[in-house]
Amino acid sequence: MATVTLQNIQKRFGAVNVIENLSVDIADGEFVVLVGPSGCGKSTLLRMVAGLEEVSGGEIRIGAREVSNLPARDRDIAMVFQNYALYPHMTVEDNMGFALKLKRANPADTAERVKKAAAILGLENLLERYPRQLSGGQRQRVAMGRAIVRNPQVFLFDEPLSNLDAKLRVVMRGEIKAMHQRIGTTTIYVTHDQIEAMTMADKIVVLHDGNIEQVGAPLELYDRPANLFVAGFIGSPAMNFLNGKIEEGVFRTEKGLILPLPAEVSPAKAGGRPLVYGIRPEHIRASDQGIQGRATIVEGTGSEIFAKLDCGGEQLSCLFRERIDVRFGDTVGISIDAKQVHLFDKTTGHRL
Amino acid sequence: MASVSIETARTETANKRSKPNRLAPNYWPFVVPALIVIGAVIVFPWVFTLWMSVNSWTLGQEQTFAGLDNYIRLATDFRFWESLWHTLIFTVLAVVAPLFLGTLAALIFDAQFPLRGFLRGVFVMPMMATPVAIALVWTMMFHPQLGVLNYLLSLVGIGPQEWIYNRYSVIPSLVLVETWQWTPLIMLIVLGGLASLPREPYESAEIDGANAWQKFRYLTLPMIAPFLMIGVIIRAIDAIKSFDIIYAMTQGGPGTASETINIYLYNTAFSYYDIGYGSAMAVVFFVIIVALSLVLMMVRARTNWSDMETR
Repeated sequence: MATVTLQNIQKRFGAVNVIENLSVDIADGEFVVLVGPSGCGKSTLLRMVAGLEEVSGGEIRIGAREVSNLPARDRDIAMVFQNYALYPHMTVEDNMGFALKLKRANPADTAERVKKAAAILGLENLLERYPRQLSGGQRQRVAMGRAIVRNPQVFLFDEPLSNLDAKLRVVMRGEIKAMHQRIGTTTIYVTHDQIEAMTMADKIVVLHDGNIEQVGAPLELYDRPANLFVAGFIGSPAMNFLNGKIEEGVFRTEKGLILPLPAEVSPAKAGGRPLVYGIRPEHIRASDQGIQGRATIVEGTGSEIFAKLDCGGEQLSCLFRERIDVRFGDTVGISIDAKQVHLFDKTTGHRL
Repeated sequence: MASVSIETARTETANKRSKPNRLAPNYWPFVVPALIVIGAVIVFPWVFTLWMSVNSWTLGQEQTFAGLDNYIRLATDFRFWESLWHTLIFTVLAVVAPLFLGTLAALIFDAQFPLRGFLRGVFVMPMMATPVAIALVWTMMFHPQLGVLNYLLSLVGIGPQEWIYNRYSVIPSLVLVETWQWTPLIMLIVLGGLASLPREPYESAEIDGANAWQKFRYLTLPMIAPFLMIGVIIRAIDAIKSFDIIYAMTQGGPGTASETINIYLYNTAFSYYDIGYGSAMAVVFFVIIVALSLVLMMVRARTNWSDMETR
């Protein structure tokens, strides 16, 4: 186990800057998730930590060692790839023991370690099989087993669940988290799925266009997003954003809808300039006395009802946890929990 | 009742579809031409060869039934066993040398370098030449006094060789020609294999600590094994049947030093006109080729690892 320090990391592909001066500190044993939309540079960053991609500038440290210019094999890391990257011509046992074989480890010791890792992942009965004879979930477990056997200082996961179906993804998410809790190795996990990030991470790093938008614990990002990008990216369904200004102690949208403000916002300080009003769909409640809106989309999942309401020209996504009888075209009354409102400066995108 | 009768009708229709009457007269006009061709060019020659092999028949003399005499004669014919040995050596060398050099060439052409496409085009040109033309050119090159090969050897201080004119060097020399012509084929097969290999296991191996040699030894080689086996099967069947180049260059000589089964059976049947004995040789030769093919195909099945091939 070790700390990982990324300092002023830069990556250029020709004239294109993919990552610019990015710095992150990862504590020993921490589970850090790099999350962001496709093309934000998260996988590139992970591959630079792995040594599969050259660093254009900056410094990567694993523990006390500067590894920026070391080949992948000398970094003492293990990586699990999106498409598993198993050795197709080797059995599960050989796949898991390959790294130790390369190090000329004692075969008995290798077999023992493979057996132990297989027991952790429930692969004992699959050791003689080839990757082609395994299901997607089993292959993913073998890829994890291959990483465990090496007992590396850092685990790297590059979107490991993207190729699995939704149900298996939930199962494997739990298994990866359980494995981390059991082994405690420092882990860097890349995903574009914010649910994965929220459920697994000790710390989330939100990336956008090669820059860090916010670093923090999952709930911190959910409760206090630093800017419009994080607010929109974290949370599903996405947060509602309404453009407007503070006037006479309330928020008035561009289309004239009046919305409540949180108590801590000082109208004197924030008034006058263009703002963005953010409210998560799950923080809007059904209320007969509140704002009236016409339902344009209604989707029920059983546990909740998602509805899109047209409130005087403003579109509001709402997630009702209570059972309400609402159908397309119905008029619904809603109330907004002012404590859950987020205000952002429209020009800078930053949280007020 | 109505639904039952509909179900029955459906089942009957399904049965009719799944079990077509293959001998229905209306199929024959389509099948007969193919049957005539197969019968004429495959079945009849084989049945006739089998029949000739159990007869004693020298052209111009009376044909008599000989039972297994020709086969018994083969078992005690020293020249047949010698030709079998020559065939074996020639085949092994003419498979191994192109396989080794072709794989090496494929690894080189798999890398990116200037003029790669042009050089690859030049490299495959020997494959396009006709065997008799190749034989003529190489016979001139092998000439002990006038040939360019001895001249090239003299440049590096090696004395003149007798090449195809010496009983000990004739088979290696013929193998040299085969290698020159067929290394590009192996190169193309292996190059195709290399292009189809997944990239990810190499990144895994890099992280697992493999160096360049280990990546080749433990990943590339086993993963291209199915392609190498295709090369081996094609080359082995081609080399064991090799006739034109050997006949055009040495006619099995000097003496019988390069006489393979093919050359011996050709001489027996068409120089000595001993058709019955030659046919027995052809039958044995056919059995050897089939056995070799089966063994190679079994080995190939064992080297399979890809998803596609196990479907």
